[in-house]
Amino acid sequence: MTVLLLWGLLALFVLYPLLSLLGRVATDGGRLSLGSALAILADPHQLRAFGNSLLLAMLVGLAGTALGFLFALTASRAGLGRGWLGVLDAVTLLPLISPPFTTAIAMIFSFGPRGLITYQLLGIKGVSVYGLTTTFFSETVTYFPIAYLTLRPVLAAIDANVEDMALSLGASRAQVFRTVTVPLAIPGLANAFLLLFAASLADFATPLILAGNAFPVLPTQAYLQITGLFDLRGGAVLSFALLVPAFGVYLLQRYWVSRRYYVTVSGKAGARTAVKTVAPWLRPVLVGACLAVAAVIAYFYALLLYASAVVALGANHAWTWRHYHVIFTEGARAIRDTLIIAGLSMPLGGAYGVLVGYLVARKRFPGRAAMEVVSMLNYALPGTIVGIAYLIAFNDPPIALTGGALIIVACYVFRYSPTGIRATVAQLQQIDPSLEEASLGLGASSATTFYRVTLPLVVPAFFAGLGVVFIRSMTAISATIFLVSINWTLITVRILENMTELSLGPAAAFSVLVVAIVYVVIALIGRVLRTFSAPGSASLGSVLGG
Amino acid sequence: MRMIVLVLAAALGWAAPAAAQQTVNAYSIWPENWARPMFEEFEKATGIKVNFVRFSSGEALARVIAEKNNPRVDVLFGGPVETHAAGIKEGIFEAYKPPSFAKLPARFKQADGQWVAIADDPLVFMSNSKFLKENNLKPPASWEDLLNPAYKNMLQMADARTSGTAVTRIFSVLEVNGRDETKAFDYMKKLRKNVQVYTKSGGGGTLPVGLGQAGAGIFFIVDALDTKAKGYDVSISFPKEGIGTSAEAVALLKGAKNPELGKKLIDWATSSAMQGLFAKHKINFVPAHPDVAVEASLAEVLKGAKIFPIDDAYAGANRKRIVERWVNEVLNAKE
Repeated sequence: MTVLLLWGLLALFVLYPLLSLLGRVATDGGRLSLGSALAILADPHQLRAFGNSLLLAMLVGLAGTALGFLFALTASRAGLGRGWLGVLDAVTLLPLISPPFTTAIAMIFSFGPRGLITYQLLGIKGVSVYGLTTTFFSETVTYFPIAYLTLRPVLAAIDANVEDMALSLGASRAQVFRTVTVPLAIPGLANAFLLLFAASLADFATPLILAGNAFPVLPTQAYLQITGLFDLRGGAVLSFALLVPAFGVYLLQRYWVSRRYYVTVSGKAGARTAVKTVAPWLRPVLVGACLAVAAVIAYFYALLLYASAVVALGANHAWTWRHYHVIFTEGARAIRDTLIIAGLSMPLGGAYGVLVGYLVARKRFPGRAAMEVVSMLNYALPGTIVGIAYLIAFNDPPIALTGGALIIVACYVFRYSPTGIRATVAQLQQIDPSLEEASLGLGASSATTFYRVTLPLVVPAFFAGLGVVFIRSMTAISATIFLVSINWTLITVRILENMTELSLGPAAAFSVLVVAIVYVVIALIGRVLRTFSAPGSASLGSVLGG
Repeated sequence: MRMIVLVLAAALGWAAPAAAQQTVNAYSIWPENWARPMFEEFEKATGIKVNFVRFSSGEALARVIAEKNNPRVDVLFGGPVETHAAGIKEGIFEAYKPPSFAKLPARFKQADGQWVAIADDPLVFMSNSKFLKENNLKPPASWEDLLNPAYKNMLQMADARTSGTAVTRIFSVLEVNGRDETKAFDYMKKLRKNVQVYTKSGGGGTLPVGLGQAGAGIFFIVDALDTKAKGYDVSISFPKEGIGTSAEAVALLKGAKNPELGKKLIDWATSSAMQGLFAKHKINFVPAHPDVAVEASLAEVLKGAKIFPIDDAYAGANRKRIVERWVNEVLNAKE
């Protein structure tokens, strides 16, 4: 029953819009025609953009996963106090909870031809800030927290006893790390890489600002094809091309992860021992590396805060409240609309993510693999395409939804819940099914088992999913730019608009506001999580900071 | 509970505000800080409220095309005429000739009334004054001046794929080269070496130039003067060979839900009444209506400038080919 309902929703909000769009792309005046689609793909410039996209996604995936792992390892193994953990969490959350342009803008201000660092500090003239390096750097900083959020519960869930046993059997710390910790974290690492790869592949905001003309990538090419050359079909074709690598990596990851056995949380664990895998001398190194990254991030956001409070960054540095006044008067409607939409998307998206993740990881039913693939589709596709597909599918009867908030909520739920799905799957792959079997065998129903046994174990994943959906609802731009309407508008769209109107101050003030709101909500989630967390997972209390 | 019901109702788009007041819906390509005061003045004059969202020209057009079987708005307000020209081919507009139609010069209206101009917007050269001083340069007064190696990697201007500003710029180059495409493209390829980045939007480079991240660029006067008004130290100049201008237009959408109110908005936008208010709200567009005088400080900037309109028929017939050639030979040029 649940499965059928989910399929219905997936069909309506994932497959139907995509097929509508595909219909537009593949037909020309009612006739099937693929010639022009193929012509676009054969264009050497587009092929170069395709290659660039893959390169960028690969680099961001690798670097972001490594950074995320560093942070997760430090958080779970370096024996940090609550305060330090709080600092790490707070700083790593910043890029996640701010609108997508923020790091890109800070990059330009810092490293451009008249950048604060390159020119004012180092006196280098005529540098070019546009290209692969800065795009890669900016995307890595923006997205590595996703890897951190994915890996942190995974590392925390690896029973320290297992590492301890290996140590007492005479293995060195390095050996334990290499042969126990890392292999056990592989599902998490693979998931983190997949999420980052997909995020980078679909990102259009950062390359739009930073990639420049020398390094075109597919999502921006698709966006420019649609909005610049008024070529919806061409843009759609380019976006569909993105699906190929996205699913290549996805299938690879499935194959790789599913061949190994990762159970560490079983019913048989004894008392937990202290974590000893990180040598005392290594701890300050890990913490130092994390703090260095944190300092870079903190600098970017200090710059943003400063920009929101001066008349015009770079030209007139007199303090002013003017920009905040603007956003709370003219921008009040966008703020209200955004909060309502994010408030609706969050619980729906969190529940949906855990439900799909649970079904996919634990239940046998026909079409299970297909459901997993379909549930990832909207995430893997660039937002521009999802937005246009929704616009085409839901503008006309029978299902006319454009102009309302429901279409934006649906877009967020189906586009941003995959983080929750992947987190749930990763978490469940570490939990021995015998726990649930025991519950079932003792006479509990499937639903009771889910609520009493499985759910408490996936609570961290649920809150990770919940948090990500809320964050994305507050910060997403690429899909929603096509879904906002005269009735419902959003803060991010206002930020983009302010930037194109050269009103950097209000754009920065809006960004600061978004960061503040999300911080408060995430802190509340953290509090709730601590209250409700199941025995044995108490250490996960600060999964999302707070 | 009541609250939840209200929120849900609103979410599903049911809770439409009680329509005591007449409301016309529009997509505005003009930035909010120019569109909002104009719409407020319209409401004051007619009692009709304008419900609007702002999009860049490409985004607005993509939406209107996607929504053409069930239009969500009545009017497409503002944006360079080439956006509207592209829209005519998609069959999205309803021809309408407002009262001012007969008074407007031919280049400010589509013959059938598919669009009508509400302002004129010439291009200018804008440079960062500090950059000029550091490099011992005068504000560029010729297209050739921009080829000076001092500008290497220091120019920002718009990408022709997304920006009407860029298309007007390219046709300006063609025009000053007597429509000799070989010569024009030679020039643009040389210029390419000085260009740091081609921006998505026409005004995208103004802030970098204002901040000195870039040395100079080619922009619409309305964007350039706005940068200056924000307090950035920039110089505005015109090339002696001349530079093009583009009309800003308004159009009624086919299948509009409130066509009568839409027509009233168009009547007003094309009238001397609205265009006479540009100066009051510091909007530096040149009025299209012949009865409205150009505001004094704007006229001062324009004095002596050689400005020519882009030939509609020529640009319309060649736009796609020229933009594609620009993408292939200039944007993607191998160095």
